[in-house]
Amino acid sequence: MSNLLSVENLTMKFGGLTAIDDLSFDAKNNQITSIIGPNGAGKTTVFNCLTGFYKPTNGQMFLHKEDSKISLRKYTDFKIAYVAKVARTFQNIRLFPAMSVLENLLVAQHNELMVASGYSLFGLLNLKTYRDKEQLAVDKAKYWLDIIGLTHRADDNAGDLPYGDQRKLEIVRAMCIKPRLLCLDEPAAGLNPKESAELNKLLKFIKTEKQTGILLIEHDMSVVMGISDHVVVLNYGKKIFEGTADQTKNSKEVIEAYLGVDE
Amino acid sequence: MEKKDIIQSFKDSLFTGLIALALFGPIVGLRTASKGEGLFITPQWGVVFLLVGLCILGRFLINLNSARKTEITFISKFTSKFSAITEDKAKHFAITAILFAVVFPFLPFTDRYFMDVAIMILTYIMLGWGLNIVVGLAGLLDLGYVAFYAVGAYSYALIATTFGWSFWICLPLAGVFAAFFGILLGFPVLRLRGDYLAIVTLGFGEIIRIILINWYEVTNGPDGITGIPRPSFFGLPFKRSPDEGETSFHLFFNLEYSTMHRIIFLYYLILVLALITNYFTLKIRKLPVGRAWEALREDEIACKSLGVNPTNTKLTAFAIGAMFGGFAGSFFATRQAFISPESFTFIESAIIVAIVVLGGMGSQTGVVLASIFLIGITEMFRDLEQYRMIAFGGAMVLIMVFKPKGILANRKPTILMHGEKK
Repeated sequence: MSNLLSVENLTMKFGGLTAIDDLSFDAKNNQITSIIGPNGAGKTTVFNCLTGFYKPTNGQMFLHKEDSKISLRKYTDFKIAYVAKVARTFQNIRLFPAMSVLENLLVAQHNELMVASGYSLFGLLNLKTYRDKEQLAVDKAKYWLDIIGLTHRADDNAGDLPYGDQRKLEIVRAMCIKPRLLCLDEPAAGLNPKESAELNKLLKFIKTEKQTGILLIEHDMSVVMGISDHVVVLNYGKKIFEGTADQTKNSKEVIEAYLGVDE
Repeated sequence: MEKKDIIQSFKDSLFTGLIALALFGPIVGLRTASKGEGLFITPQWGVVFLLVGLCILGRFLINLNSARKTEITFISKFTSKFSAITEDKAKHFAITAILFAVVFPFLPFTDRYFMDVAIMILTYIMLGWGLNIVVGLAGLLDLGYVAFYAVGAYSYALIATTFGWSFWICLPLAGVFAAFFGILLGFPVLRLRGDYLAIVTLGFGEIIRIILINWYEVTNGPDGITGIPRPSFFGLPFKRSPDEGETSFHLFFNLEYSTMHRIIFLYYLILVLALITNYFTLKIRKLPVGRAWEALREDEIACKSLGVNPTNTKLTAFAIGAMFGGFAGSFFATRQAFISPESFTFIESAIIVAIVVLGGMGSQTGVVLASIFLIGITEMFRDLEQYRMIAFGGAMVLIMVFKPKGILANRKPTILMHGEKK
C-alpha cells in the first residue's frame, strides 16, 4: 500500500509553548491512521497544521500523488480543500444549521458547480448543461445520504437532525469534495454505543471503497482499537509510540502516558 | 391568569412608565422658546403625561399578552395566519401583489400623492432587496448601504449632465460604478465580522457622503447637482412643448398633456427595476454562489474546510448588492432631477437595514411588507410633522414585539430532493 501523507519533523510553537515537537509519521492510502493522546497532547494542532488553519513553525507535510508529491505548507485556508483535496471535520460540529441537509452537501461541491454554472452565467440563463451537472451533484448527495440512511430527511434543516446524524452528515459532507485525505476530529464524541458502531461501519466503508486515507483523532478507544490500522500516540506534542492497535494496547509508554507511572 | 400575575405586570408597567417619564420629561416636557431677549422654558406636561400613559398602557397590554396566551393574541394570531398564507400560497400571493402593483396607477382613488408614496415605497423595496443579498443571504451587516445608492445617483447625474447620454446608457454604467465601489469596500473588510464589519461599513457610508460634500469641483458640494435629465419613453420625452424636431410622449400617443404621464412612467420604471432585482435574487439564491453566500453566513470556517473561497464569495455579494443600490440611485437621481449629499445620510442606511431585518432576514416578501408598513405608516402621519418619526419607531416596536424574528422568518431550501411537501 502506498504512502499518502508524510509528516516530517513538524513543529508548532505558540510563543514559548511548543504544542508539537518534531513530529514525524506517515499515513497510507485506504488505511485509518489514528492519532491519540491525553488531553492537550497537540492532536488538534496537528490537524490545524495539516488543514492550513495554522502555519507550522517548522517541518514539512507532503501529500503523495501517484509519482509526484505536493507540500501542504504551500497551501493555506480554503486551498487545502480546493487544490490539495484534504478534507476535515471539526470537534464541535460545523454544519450549516439553517440550510437543508441536501444544501449542505451541495455547498461541498461548490467549486465543481461553480464551473458548471459558468460562474453563475449559465445558471442564470438556466442552460441545460448546468441543470444536468446540478442533477449529478444531487445524485451524488443522494448516494451519500443513502449510505448514512438520511435520504428521507434531505429537505430538513441540518440543525434539526439528532446529534449522531449531524456527525455522520459532517463526514459525508467532507467526502463530497472527493478528498484524498480525510481528517476526522473526534467523530465519536458524544455518540452512544449504537451510533459509534454505525460510525465505525461508515469509516470502514469509506476506507475500503474510496480512494481515501483517513486520519482520525479520537478519545473513544472502542472506535480507535476497532478500526485503526495504524496508531500514533502523542504526549506533550511528542510522538511516544507508533504501531498497530494491538501493539499500542500493550505498550508500556502509552499506558504510562494515560495512567501515570507507578511509584 | 392569576391575580399575582396581574399585579406583577402592573408593577412592571409602572416601572416602564418611570423610565418613560425620565426620558420624556426633559426631552418633550421642557421646551425652549425664544421670547424677545433670551430663551425661556415652556413646560408641556400634558404631552409628557399622555406619552407616559401610552407607554404604561402598551407595556401592560404586552405583559398581559405574553402572560396569557388566549387573551390578547389576536395580533399574533393574525400575523401568524398572514405569514402562513404568504408562505403556503407564496406564488398566488406574489402574482396578486404584482397584478395590484401593475393596475395601481389606474385605480380610481390613485392620485398624485399616492403615486409619489408608491414610488417611494418601491424605491425602498428595491434597496431592501439589494441589501438583502448582502445582509440577508451573505450575513454581512452593511450599515453603509446608502453609499452605493449615492454612487449610483451621482454617477448617473454626472454622466448625464456632462455627456448628455440617455438614461438607458447611464443606468448600467451607474450599476457598474456602484459595484466597483462595493468591491472597493469589500476588500478592507474581508477579515471583519459582525460588529466590526458594521462599524467599518458605517464609516464607509460617511466617507462617501463627506467626499460628495467636499469635492466641490466635481460634485458641486453641498449645492448638489441640478438639471439632471429626465428619462424618456423610448426616445419620447415627457414635455409639454418638445424641442424642434422632437415628438413628445403625449403628441405621439395623441393624449392630453398631463404631468401624471411622467409620474406613471417613473412608477413603472421603478416597478420593473425592483422586479428585476427580485427575480435576479431569487434565481441566484438557487445557484452555487447563492448557496455559498448562505453557507458563509452560517459558518465561515466550515466553508473554508470545504474549499469555498470566502474572498470571492464575499466580494460578489458586496458587488451585486451594491449594483442594485446603484440602479436605485440612478432612478432616484432621474426622478428628483436634483441630488445633494443631504439625501444620502446615515438615516437612509438605517431605514434600509431596518426594512431587511424587520422583514425577516433573507425573505423577499418580508422586505415588501416591511417597506409598506414602515414607509406607509410614516407617510400616513406626515401631518404630525416632526412627530412622524415616532410613528416609524412605533411601527418598529410593534414588529419587534409581535414578530421578533421578522415579519416572515421562514427560510425555504433552495433545492428539494423530495419535492414540495403536501
